Amino acid sequence: MALSGVEIFKHLPKTNCKKCGHPTCLAFAMKLAAKQASLDACPDASEDAKKVLGEAAAPPIRGITIGAGDKAVKTGDEICLFRHEKKFFNPTVFAVAIKDTEAGEAAARKIEAVKTSEIDRVGQKLRVDAIAVIDESGDAAKFASVVKQVVDGAPGVAIILASKNPAVIEAGIALCADKKPLIYAATAENAEAMAKIAKEKKASLALSADGLDALTALSEKVKGLGVDDLVLDPGARKAKDMVEQYTIIRRAAIKKNFKPLGYPVIAFPGRGDSVSEAMAASIGVMKYASIIVLNTIEKWKMLALLSLRQNIYTDPQVPMQVAQNIYKVGDAKENSPLMITTNFSLSYFIVRGEVENSKVPSWLAVMDNEGLSVLTAWAAGKFTASRIAQFIAESGVEKSINHKELIIPGYVAILSGTLEEKLPGWKITVGPREANGLPSFLKARA
Amino acid sequence: MLIIGEKISVIAKKVREALQKHEPKPLQELAVAQAKAGAHFIDVSIGPAEENGPELMDWAVKVVHEVVHKPLCLDTTNIKAMEAGLKAHNNTWGAPIINSTSNEPERFPMMELAGKYNAKIIALTLGKGSIPADAEDRCVIAAEIMARGMEYGVPMENIFLDPLILQICTMQDQGRQAIRAIKMFQQLNDPPMQSVVGLSNISNGAPKHVRPVINRNFLAMLIYEGLSAAIIDPLDKDMMDTVKTVEMIMGKTMYAHSYLDM
Amino acid sequence: MALVIPKETYSGKIYNVQLGAGAKAVTIGGASALPFLAFEGAFPNKPAVALEIMDIAPDDWPETVKKAVGGAGASPAKWAKFCQDNGADMVALRLMGTHPDQQNKSAEEAAKVAAEVAAAVDIPLIILGSGHAEKDTQVLQAAAAATRGKNCAIGKAVEENYKTVAAAAMANDHKLIAMSQLDVNLAKQLNILLTQMGFAKERIIMDPMSSALGYGLEYTYSVIERIRQAALLQNDPMMQTPVMCDIGANVWKVKEVMAPDADVPEWGGLEDRALAWEVITASGMLTAGADMLIMRHPGAAGKIKELIAELMG
Repeated sequence: MALSGVEIFKHLPKTNCKKCGHPTCLAFAMKLAAKQASLDACPDASEDAKKVLGEAAAPPIRGITIGAGDKAVKTGDEICLFRHEKKFFNPTVFAVAIKDTEAGEAAARKIEAVKTSEIDRVGQKLRVDAIAVIDESGDAAKFASVVKQVVDGAPGVAIILASKNPAVIEAGIALCADKKPLIYAATAENAEAMAKIAKEKKASLALSADGLDALTALSEKVKGLGVDDLVLDPGARKAKDMVEQYTIIRRAAIKKNFKPLGYPVIAFPGRGDSVSEAMAASIGVMKYASIIVLNTIEKWKMLALLSLRQNIYTDPQVPMQVAQNIYKVGDAKENSPLMITTNFSLSYFIVRGEVENSKVPSWLAVMDNEGLSVLTAWAAGKFTASRIAQFIAESGVEKSINHKELIIPGYVAILSGTLEEKLPGWKITVGPREANGLPSFLKARA
Repeated sequence: MLIIGEKISVIAKKVREALQKHEPKPLQELAVAQAKAGAHFIDVSIGPAEENGPELMDWAVKVVHEVVHKPLCLDTTNIKAMEAGLKAHNNTWGAPIINSTSNEPERFPMMELAGKYNAKIIALTLGKGSIPADAEDRCVIAAEIMARGMEYGVPMENIFLDPLILQICTMQDQGRQAIRAIKMFQQLNDPPMQSVVGLSNISNGAPKHVRPVINRNFLAMLIYEGLSAAIIDPLDKDMMDTVKTVEMIMGKTMYAHSYLDM
Repeated sequence: MALVIPKETYSGKIYNVQLGAGAKAVTIGGASALPFLAFEGAFPNKPAVALEIMDIAPDDWPETVKKAVGGAGASPAKWAKFCQDNGADMVALRLMGTHPDQQNKSAEEAAKVAAEVAAAVDIPLIILGSGHAEKDTQVLQAAAAATRGKNCAIGKAVEENYKTVAAAAMANDHKLIAMSQLDVNLAKQLNILLTQMGFAKERIIMDPMSSALGYGLEYTYSVIERIRQAALLQNDPMMQTPVMCDIGANVWKVKEVMAPDADVPEWGGLEDRALAWEVITASGMLTAGADMLIMRHPGAAGKIKELIAELMG
């Protein structure tokens, strides 16, 4: 069972040495209880504490890093089944599959596609994070040549080495052992040999089995062989099996703390048809796949999948906010009125709706107040005269309008005097308190 | 449980106008009525008061102290105004409460003031950016705030941890998380950490006839879990009866047929 | 350690709601477990896919989807037939032309179109107003009367007009689509209000307000997940109505389905990108728990039906 922060605290050194990066042992203990830190960060934890806390403080799904350097990707370390319960932490890793039979031209094109896959979306840089080299030929030399092509062509990108043949993996990993690749995969037949390679090269190891019972047995076996960083593939390829098997894995790990399945999942939704592949991959993004290996990574497809991933992994605790901006409502012209409100999405939608109702084209200044409503934002010091003045002055709205009149919500009428002082030359008009007063207010002025 | 009377709030139109015009009477009337109704502290909320904060807080504290000999809970985001209030406060009637600090950097100086003036302080378990998802997140923040308190020499018994009460109508699970947090906060120190809530926010947005029902029942559950103080309306008799009844059932006061009149 | 499959115990079930009449009638809902978890519940009906048509030509739809509709868009009845022939489970007629800012068509004109469309197809019909809460009351009343006996879904009833719209559905034996604004609590409240006025909860289809991929999809996603959890795990009768998502209308207005290749080379080709946008948005809603989707692109709808078949196994 999970320990409370206070129970964990009792086992810590209580020196408040800050070596773990937290101000006190208590603060560190709370982080451990919230599964936001690992006991490894404490250099002075006693063996006894490690033993007691090790299992309890371990996250229900082990966090695993693939690759090395600044392009290494972290996966796993999830703590809930539904994003609204807290959030999903480590976004799905997308990898493209390169078969060793594609050596040369075809492989080079895919490598180039990975290197140019980065897009910027709402301030985040999103990209294809890994390349999976697939042993199709059964020829270790051929496999190694493609691994070399990937290592040389896309330095830094995380690598997955896929073969059931330990000799092929040996040949491949010799070229990228320093990159902490993921080996795919150990099976019931080759487990000892694969575990040996993974241990020697400090690589993480994926397990492939047909169904969850076989996977559980394999997981216990490989863990027993001394490999800690595991990844799971229960063999699901159809959408229905993905949803069912991945749900069972996630539930067993999180609700039952079932250790053999407490690892990230790797999915292979590959299809001949690219839209079908995108659909199956989307199921993986939403239903608990931590790594998804795709056959192709066309730009349109990655835009859709990366956007979905971004949506699903967004923190639901951040209040719904609208971006700070000057919004045009209707066909606003330079003489149209200018109003201000906060970026609490409900405030924005309601105010905007009422302005639209009024049929009076207007400018709506939406100010970032961390998603608070007008009165709350003002009381919290986030919607004050000086902040509003600064926002209006820096917004560049003066270029769009030929007047200097700002309409403020009736609730903060108190600000009007100060605002006029802080915005020299501006006239501050107090609008209605509630948004539903806007249509008559605006019509009366028009 | 300590009652912090919430009526002198800049959110209320009457108070806002009185503050603007420096009219002592509305403030003094509210202060007296709340003290009489059983408030242990009188909250004095002046808003951000960007322009004349220090002068306004100084005035408000003195005006209230003229008529009520109780410690005050000084409520503003303006650091200078807070310091002016602490200077003006008459500590013969008890140390004031600073309302509030949090884990947002712009509110750290409030903790520094608590150390400097030996004041009590309300600490919202809220960090930058996102709302704490659950009681565990709140404890993470609480521990960081406590560490900051130690740094500024604020005794742990002067800190009131506030789990941040959110609207039940839009964030239903947060009510339950706040209750869990009240219980968990106490374990963060020995003697137990104190806690406080701004109660009425729980029912913000709910229909008018529902609000008092939510408020009272929520408060009962919080007191049961060990809440130390609440910012409420002491003039609300039903609310005060709830406090008295829960404390009586918990064995903190002795029963008598007329316990509600005490 | 042997794995014991951790199953949920569900105490609730989604209502079965039938739309249409005769051999081509379609039933949605009926699930007794969270989406597609067949190992712990039954899914008697597969999610239905409706294709959207309008009472006016789709002139302001983006090029990609307009092209896919082709000449059929010129006449609502022809368009409806085109949808049926292209494998749609249902047709969703949006009476956009009645909006005061569009062509401000009268309720009578709308009713006539609705009757024509109903006569042209034998798959179930969804009739949607233009989204103008006030005008929709007259428009939907007339359209509901004109299609009496066809067991349509009429909508959308919203907070401002639910009484009239629900009365129109009730009087003409139709089902009702009730939309709330992206909020579980408001969704429940609207269903309570409808039930309190005498509208049977088993005849309601809930629209939690859809959003497009990249434009708030996660809010709708979580709202539907929470609705489904309340329905199945808390056995909340007000949350047990099937869920509908208006996919096309939200997707076919975002930049990703319109920006030409030359403007955004890093986004890939427009045709594929636009289709993928509707498909992946729909996949998101299905995964969260939607029982019925309204889509615009016949090709995208076709792909989604493929996915539904795969998910149902």
